[in-house]
Amino acid sequence: MDTLVQALINGIAVGGFLTLMVLGFSIIWGVMGVINFAHGEFIMVGAYMAWFARSEWGIEPLYSALPIFMIMFVVGFILQKLVVNKVIDRPHLVSLLVMFAASIIMSNSVKLIAGADFRRVNSDIQKGFWELGDLATIPRKHTVVLAVALVVLIALQTFLQRTRLGKSIRAAAQNRQAAQIVGIDIKWVYAFTFALCIGITAMSGALTSTIIPVFPFMGPPWALRAFVITALSGLGSVKGTLGAAMFLGILESLVATYAPGNSGSQLAVITAFGLLVLTLVVRPQGLFGGLRPVESGAH
Amino acid sequence: MKSTTKRVLQGVGLGLGCLLLVGLLVLPLFERGNDSTLFTLTLLLASIGTAISWNLTGGFTGYVDFGHAVWFGIGAYTTGVLMSNESDWIPQQWPLVPALIVSAIFTALVANLVGRLTMRLSGPYFSIAMLGFFVFFREVVRVMGGLTNRGVGLTIEPVINRPLWYYVTLIFVLVLVYLSWWLRRTRFGASLIAIREDEIGAEMRGIDTTRNKVMIFTLSGAITGLLGAMWAYQNTFLDPDIAFVEVRTIDAVMGTMLGGLGTVAGPIIGMAFLFVLRELLWTQESLLQTHLIVQGLLLGAVVIYLPKGLMGLVRGEVKLLDRFRKRTSTFEGMEAAVLDDEVLDEAAGELETEVSR
Repeated sequence: MDTLVQALINGIAVGGFLTLMVLGFSIIWGVMGVINFAHGEFIMVGAYMAWFARSEWGIEPLYSALPIFMIMFVVGFILQKLVVNKVIDRPHLVSLLVMFAASIIMSNSVKLIAGADFRRVNSDIQKGFWELGDLATIPRKHTVVLAVALVVLIALQTFLQRTRLGKSIRAAAQNRQAAQIVGIDIKWVYAFTFALCIGITAMSGALTSTIIPVFPFMGPPWALRAFVITALSGLGSVKGTLGAAMFLGILESLVATYAPGNSGSQLAVITAFGLLVLTLVVRPQGLFGGLRPVESGAH
Repeated sequence: MKSTTKRVLQGVGLGLGCLLLVGLLVLPLFERGNDSTLFTLTLLLASIGTAISWNLTGGFTGYVDFGHAVWFGIGAYTTGVLMSNESDWIPQQWPLVPALIVSAIFTALVANLVGRLTMRLSGPYFSIAMLGFFVFFREVVRVMGGLTNRGVGLTIEPVINRPLWYYVTLIFVLVLVYLSWWLRRTRFGASLIAIREDEIGAEMRGIDTTRNKVMIFTLSGAITGLLGAMWAYQNTFLDPDIAFVEVRTIDAVMGTMLGGLGTVAGPIIGMAFLFVLRELLWTQESLLQTHLIVQGLLLGAVVIYLPKGLMGLVRGEVKLLDRFRKRTSTFEGMEAAVLDDEVLDEAAGELETEVSR
C-alpha cells in the first residue's frame, strides 16, 4: 500500500513537470502544423541558462525562470521570423528536417561552450521532502514545478479562450485561410505563438534543471515524451496535455516501481513507446481532441 | 534543360563514377589500402547502402522514416545472438552465411509486421511512430534477458579479413544501386512514386497502395538488416548502444537529402560528400569540435535552399539565383511539392497503360 501511494505521488510529480515541458511542443504543432524536432534542445538551453544563473550569480531557478522565459520569447520570435517562416508552407518533411538541423546545431554549440559534463542545479527552495505520515514522502522540488505548471496552464487556457489574440491563435489553428479572410494577421499570430511556446519550454527546462541531469544531449528523450503525450492528448489541447502527461507520469512510475529486478527504467521506456505506437495506430487524433481538426491519420 | 547538355552531364557523371569504381576496386592492392583504410571505407559503403535503402521508402514512397537504424540494430543483434556463445537461448555458434541469411529474413519479418502497423499512418505520424519503434526495440533488447545477454553485449569470435569484407560490401552496394535504378523503371517503382505524389489518386487508379508500401518497407528493412548483420560480424562486439544508434538514421536522412531525395545517385553522392566533409573537418584540430554544427547548418541550408539536393543542382532544376531575385511570400501560393517531371510522366504513362488494359 505504501509503495502504491508513493508510486502514485511520484507519478503525479513527474506528470507535473512533463505537462510544463510538453505544452509548447503541443501548441506549436497544433497551431502552426510544425513539428518542433528541436523541442528537447530548447528545454536543454533553458536548463543551461538556469545552471549558469545559479552557479555564477546564485539566483534560484524559480526566480531566473521568468527572465529566461522573456529572453527565449525574443529568441523564439527571431527564430520564427528567420527560419520557421521559410518552411511553414512546405511539406512536413522540410520543417521536420530544418528543426532537426536546429537541434544538432544547438546541442553541439552548447557542448562547445559549456562542455559535455553532467550538471545538476542546486536549489534551496526546491529541496527536501514533506512527509505524509508514515505513508509516503512528497518531493518539494517537484511540487514547485507542479504549482508553476498549473499556474501556466490556467493562464494559457484563459489567454486562449478569453483574449482577442488567443482567439486569433485558435482560429488560425482551425482554418488558416478563413482566419486570414476575416482579417487576422497570421504572420503575427504565428510569430507570437512560436515565441510564447519557446519561452514556456525554456522556462520548463529552467525549473526542472533541479530535478533532471543537465547535459548537452539531454533533449531527445524529453522530445520523444513530448511526442507520446501530444499523440495521446491531441494537438494543441491544453487540458488534454495535463491529462496525458499525468497519465504517462503515473504509468511510468507504476511500471518502474513494480517491474521485476532492476529493469524498471527500461520497462518504463518500453511502456511509453508502446503506448505511443498503439495510440498512433488505433487513434491518431488523440484521446482528448485538440485545437486542430485532424487532417491526417489512418486511411 | 537542353538534352545535349543533359547527355554531356550524364556522360561526365558516368565517367567519373566508373573511374571512382575502378579506384575502389584496385585500392586493396596498394600500400594505402591498409586494413584501417579498408575498414573505414567498408563502413562508408555500409552507410551508403543504408542511405540507399532509406531512400526506397523515404525518397520513392515519400514516407520519411526517422527510426531506420532500428533495422540495422535488429540485423546486427540477430547475427550476434546466432554467432555468439554468450546468448543463453542459442549458445551454439552458427556458421556465418546461414546467420546472415537468417538475420536478413528475420529483419524482413519484423519490418513487415511493423510496416503493416505504421504504413497506415500518414505524414509526420509515420515518422514519429518509427522513431518510437527505434527506441522501443533498443530497450527491448536491453531487457530481453538470456537471449541478448541483458544488454551487456555479445562478442563474436573475430575472424578479421578486411579486404574480403571490403569487396563483399562494395559488391553488395553495387547490387543495391542497380536494384534501386531498376526498381524505378518497373511498374512497382512507378506505383511508389505515384503514392508519393498523390496517394489517394494512386489508390483510386487501382494501385494497392498499402500492399506496395509494406512491400518496399520490408525490402528496405531487409537490406539494412543484412548490412547490420555484416557490420556486427566485422565489429565482433555489439551492445544496444552501438547497435542502435540515432546517428545511422541521421546520416541516412542527411546523405539522401544532400544528394537528392528520390534519385538513384542521390544517396551515394550525398554520403560521399558528407564523408569527405567530415574527414576535412576532422583533420583540422580547431574544427574537430565544430563538425556536427557545420553539418547541421549545411542540412538546414540544403533543406531550405536546395530541396532537390546536389542532384537537383547538377540537373539545373533549382535556379538558385531566382530564389534571391524573386522573393515570394511564404504564405501565398501552394505547397512546393518536391516533384520530378520526368518521373511523374513516367508514372502517369504506366498508369495509363494499366488503365487502357
